[in-house]
Amino acid sequence: QDYTFRATANSNENDEDYDGLVVFKNYVESASNGAIEVELFIGTQLCANGAECLQGVADGSIDIFVTTSGGAAGIFPYVQIFDLPYLMSDDRIAEEVLTNTDLTAQMRERALADSGDTIRIMTIGNTGGWRNFANTERRVTQPSDLEGLKIRTVVADLPQELVRAVGASPTPIPWPELFTSLQTGVVEGTKNGITDIMGMKFPDAGLQYLTLDGHAYMAAIWVMNNEAFTSLPPELQRVVVDGFAALQQATFASPKRKSIDAYAAFVDGGGDLYVPTPDEKVAFQEAASPVYDWFAQNVDGGDEMLTNFRAAITEAEENVNARRERDMP
Amino acid sequence: MAAILNSIRWLGALNAGALAVGRWVGVACMALMVVFILVQVFWRYVLSDPLPWPEEAARFGMLWLMVVAPTALRRGGFVAIDMIQRILPRLLGGVLALILLVLSLVVLVVAVRIGWAEVTGFSGRFTSSSLYYPTSGGWEKMPRAWMMASLVTGLAMMVSVVVELILRQVVRLAGRGGALPPIPEAVDVAAGAE
Amino acid sequence: MLIWFLPVFLVVLMIGLPVFFALLFAPGVMLWLSGQERDLVLLYRNMYNGMDSFPLMAIPFFMLAGELMNRGGITLRLVEFSQACVGHFRAGLAQVNILSSMLFAGLSGSAVADTSALGSMLIPAMEREGYTRRFSAAVTAASSVIGPIIPPSGIMIIYAYVMEQSVAALFLAGVVPGVLVGLGLMIVTNVIARRRSDFPPLRRRATWGEKGQASLKAFFPLLTPVIILGGILGGAFTPTEASAVAVAYAAIVSLFVLREMTWRDLPEVLLRAALASSVVLLLVGAAMAFKTVVALSHAPETLADFILTLAENPLILLLLINLLLFIVGMFLDAGPAIIILGPILGPIFTSLGVDPVHFAMIMSVNLTVGLATPPMGLVLFVASSVSGERVETIARAILPFLAVEVLVIGLITYVPAISLAVPRFFGFL
Ligand code: NA
Ligand code: NA
Repeated sequence: QDYTFRATANSNENDEDYDGLVVFKNYVESASNGAIEVELFIGTQLCANGAECLQGVADGSIDIFVTTSGGAAGIFPYVQIFDLPYLMSDDRIAEEVLTNTDLTAQMRERALADSGDTIRIMTIGNTGGWRNFANTERRVTQPSDLEGLKIRTVVADLPQELVRAVGASPTPIPWPELFTSLQTGVVEGTKNGITDIMGMKFPDAGLQYLTLDGHAYMAAIWVMNNEAFTSLPPELQRVVVDGFAALQQATFASPKRKSIDAYAAFVDGGGDLYVPTPDEKVAFQEAASPVYDWFAQNVDGGDEMLTNFRAAITEAEENVNARRERDMP
Repeated sequence: MAAILNSIRWLGALNAGALAVGRWVGVACMALMVVFILVQVFWRYVLSDPLPWPEEAARFGMLWLMVVAPTALRRGGFVAIDMIQRILPRLLGGVLALILLVLSLVVLVVAVRIGWAEVTGFSGRFTSSSLYYPTSGGWEKMPRAWMMASLVTGLAMMVSVVVELILRQVVRLAGRGGALPPIPEAVDVAAGAE
Repeated sequence: MLIWFLPVFLVVLMIGLPVFFALLFAPGVMLWLSGQERDLVLLYRNMYNGMDSFPLMAIPFFMLAGELMNRGGITLRLVEFSQACVGHFRAGLAQVNILSSMLFAGLSGSAVADTSALGSMLIPAMEREGYTRRFSAAVTAASSVIGPIIPPSGIMIIYAYVMEQSVAALFLAGVVPGVLVGLGLMIVTNVIARRRSDFPPLRRRATWGEKGQASLKAFFPLLTPVIILGGILGGAFTPTEASAVAVAYAAIVSLFVLREMTWRDLPEVLLRAALASSVVLLLVGAAMAFKTVVALSHAPETLADFILTLAENPLILLLLINLLLFIVGMFLDAGPAIIILGPILGPIFTSLGVDPVHFAMIMSVNLTVGLATPPMGLVLFVASSVSGERVETIARAILPFLAVEVLVIGLITYVPAISLAVPRFFGFL
């Protein structure tokens, strides 16, 4: 082969990131007729967190990496738009935003500029569905039920603002300490996707109440070292771009399939799964609304990217509605 | 030889000063780390009002403990298997010790060069997630570079220490070991999370 | 080509390059020789990020707590308490040494701290009473490996950090194995004492009054583990925070209750802890960097395939692994060994059905015992510098104790309940 790409994801082989990478590797290696080889490093072997891995992508010691919006916030703060609550209504809208609007291209441009033309956003997929509020204490049907609960967040200001807005106390706990902290009561809740909740066996630690408020889309931002990409001949660039498109589809599909078993296991284990009514969802949205202003004012490039994001969502909703109408008799 | 002895005295004094500063920074960091974490526990458990910053602030302190490590290095507190050195005849053992010091120096110099590029380059531009510093225009997020500078500072101090140790070893090999000024306080600092 | 960093590492380590530099030099040189200079920056970055971790902070804190207790006279109270309990046994002071190590283990996370704190007190005392110096030093070294087995434990913190396990579960899992090692050492001491005629005569049994006095004095120090584990289990704080609480508690007891320490002693205590911590943190960082090259060279896959061709039966594999760990433990500190080998060996055994917490115990206890084996036995070095006896002499005197420790490793390996019962009882499994 002529090109070897090092791809890494800080998760494990049960994660949707891995599913995406397997699809990518398979597509790229065969479509390039073996000219490109993709080496997978799953876990924290090469780098252990968003900041560290993005540094690696910037200097070319890592070619391909997937980060959550939180992981990239330290250098591209505006990617946190995906953590803004209740903007996209469901998977179909989110996928339309990420495939058929200019949002990804706008982010790519901005990220290239901010990284001195080193980090290129290739595509944005999903990792783990949507974030929901889950807790060890009680069923949550409205924001006031969250009041007084200590909810674990990452050490980043946007998720903390959100938790504060709905009346709970944001508590930074490192991920590896979270299980014990839930079990002993250091914190009473989390905001994670169902596959992470089940993967970490949080219900065993008492996390038994889950409200499907779907407050944030768990976007997975796939980046590549810009030079590694642009130095490819055009026909191989095309293979890589198509590979990322296939990867994106795989990461859209994988959490949907995985979450079925995860939800079933959660309920089988005695978990209380609550789906808020449309009215209740509105109550959550209203409670969370201060976060948007906070984001536009406090986050570097936040205002601009939020405007882009809202425009993309409107466009996506129109597209989807038009197609829906066409598909119905 | 006199020139070497002279430079050892100068470098030794410089190292002794820098290391003393480093030790006081380390003492302060250690104390602050404890305070930060106690604040964190108190606010969360007693007041039920968790604070976002103590975790990162305490990590900041822990990273700056690095400036104490050169003291350990100068006093021989870095663990090594010295069996072979002791088995070898004196002269050979001394030459081996010199070679090992040079290898250490190579590692340190390469590390300092990379580390400096890291602090001043793209990596250092990431911002901290919960720490701010005051500027004339209000509070700004602290760049990660301020944390990253800890390791490269510690390593740079070690470069200076190893250069001194190399010069001392050269003098010893020349049979003038008796003329060397002693390194004070051989506190045993055997490493061990163990 | 890159895989040659392993032999290079062994060579530079054996000729005496400090572990920290060896961990960086070998991978660095091989990356350079194979034209992968861009990856040198990965090495540096993983070292830095390896140290930049919240859970690791428990290591400096437990070291500081240990320093405070030693300076504050807490160690002395523990020894007096042990004396009242087992001082009248055959080879009384040796038994006191072992029991003190077990108690000290509940406060400290480090075998080195144990050896230097208890050794500097008990080795001279044992010599005065008529034990040989080599025997005294050997008992001290052998029993101090209990330090990181009974919680709190620096090694378990590192294991949990690298392998993403629950620190609390590992801490609880260490209780029974630690007590077993202690009991085993006490039995061996008794057997040796029966066969030797040159041991000092029996001491008198402490009166109930003396026992009461000693217990009273040891009350506050002995409360430390209760506060640490109770606070963790009760949800007041995380294991990392518990280590800071332990520091505060030790400071309060030393400064205000026992009053053997003054504020003016504080800077030196802080400095000693900072010195030891900085070296350990560097080692952890360097080992994390080393681990990166382990991954880049695809060593884990090669090694896993190789290990699985040796035997299919997990029981036989566990025996082989114990052998491997014991040998590695002779040459490498427990911390770096865990960082490098844990990610390679852990997944193999969990996929064979071994509980991750159980495997953590097998690995940690084995590597901890390695601290008392030459040529790279940290505890032996410290025992030697505390007692003035040569490392080689202590290494010979320690053999019967090592034998019982190897026996306990066997028990831990083949009876999972020894490790798992306590964490299971508290709902951590
Ligand atoms: Na311990
Ligand atoms: Na050893």
